[in-house]
Amino acid sequence: MPAGGGATAMNLLKNPERLDRLASAYALGTLRGGARRRFETLAREQAPVRAAALIWQSRVASLNELQRADEPAPAVWTRIDNLVRADREQQTMAAARAASPAPKPTGWLRSLALWRGATAAGALATVLAVVTAVGLRDQLGSEIGALQAQLAAQPQIEYVAVLNDAQASASMLVTFDPKNGRLTLQRVGGFQEAADKSLQLWALPPSGGPRSLGVLGQDRLLQLAADEPDVREVPTLAISLEPKGGVPSERGPTGPVLFTGALIQKMI
Amino acid sequence: MARLVWWGTARAPAPEQADTFAHNNPMSEDADARLMALIDRIALRDEAALKALYDLTSGKLYGLALRVVGKNEWAEDALQESFLQIWRSAGDYRASLSPPMAWLGLIVRSRALDSLRRRQADGTHQTHELDEQMAETLPGDAPNPMDVSLASQQAWALHQCLGKLENQQREVVSLAYLRDLSHSELATQLRLPLGTVKTWIRRGLDQLRSCMAHFA
Repeated sequence: MPAGGGATAMNLLKNPERLDRLASAYALGTLRGGARRRFETLAREQAPVRAAALIWQSRVASLNELQRADEPAPAVWTRIDNLVRADREQQTMAAARAASPAPKPTGWLRSLALWRGATAAGALATVLAVVTAVGLRDQLGSEIGALQAQLAAQPQIEYVAVLNDAQASASMLVTFDPKNGRLTLQRVGGFQEAADKSLQLWALPPSGGPRSLGVLGQDRLLQLAADEPDVREVPTLAISLEPKGGVPSERGPTGPVLFTGALIQKMI
Repeated sequence: MARLVWWGTARAPAPEQADTFAHNNPMSEDADARLMALIDRIALRDEAALKALYDLTSGKLYGLALRVVGKNEWAEDALQESFLQIWRSAGDYRASLSPPMAWLGLIVRSRALDSLRRRQADGTHQTHELDEQMAETLPGDAPNPMDVSLASQQAWALHQCLGKLENQQREVVSLAYLRDLSHSELATQLRLPLGTVKTWIRRGLDQLRSCMAHFA
């Protein structure tokens, strides 16, 4: 450092009151520009300057503790809880991948195969039901939590998907029971199609075009028949808005795709 | 060395003051121990502990976020991000050597400032709105609005010293820190002459320095 800096430091160290004043203004944040940079340089070089800065940072930060309490909306905790769960699930999945031999991270198909391997090895005891808990609407969070709990209690359910809209809000929970060949759809969002429209569920296989899995009625809870080959190894499901009664499978969706989501094989 | 120089000289001159604040603050150590135990459990991925910490501190921390960003919706976002950060970084808490509420408060102020800057980058009419609100936060004759529930020992000391400032000085000093504002930003937002803001801050800090010296 230039001699000027050293001289300033010496002056400052001889003048504890001036040091204290600078340190308090530094900590408050009102010491700005060149004066702030010079003070920071001195603090790096001189332990007493650094100590004064740290003491004042800590004192001033006490302002954080003195603000009047207020009541956050109850939904805030629900959102935090959802985010924390998603965080945990991501870590669990990452751990499962790390624990599996020779992972080839090339899309959903291989991930699914990998997860089956992990299940067989007993590496996971968790139900990996929801990939995207992020962005769930508040009241939906608890609804989905309850559904997940129900699902976990029904051993015949092997595939699960949460279909989200463009805002990443959960709108449809899909489960598949291969033993009984039954797809169950539960509307969890507020969406309701117009009377002259129908929602249609599509499988989006890794190759080939979308395949219709059926047309949805207006009820909140819906069931469609499906065979396991139709659902197995399908990475993604989608729901489009179609004319009343839906469109033929070969043509693919004609209306806008409202909801999409990954289909996940449930870990037992 | 530095500790001896700066802290050692201070405690002796005002024993009656130290008594007062020790007497006023009998619960702080218990509360701190409880919060620290919860943070330790969170570091071990205990979700129930996170909920318990939220129940104990969210009101206080939300109040802080609200004071920084000035709008319920933004404050709730900041609180949400803060608790996610607490969940992820609880393992770092012990190394900070901070009282638990001080550590939590730093996280919340930081996330709230992030949120404020993001929103300000989004659109200027919103900052204008905030200015309006800021201008109304200086009533001038309000009593000391500070709240010491859950506050650490050091925050108690600062509280005592802030109580000796004039209301407007205290308000300007608080806002400078909480919203990370320069003299000129404060002057603009509070619609005060720059010289007035500088004087209030300087005098406020001078008084705080002489008062805090009693508490070290």
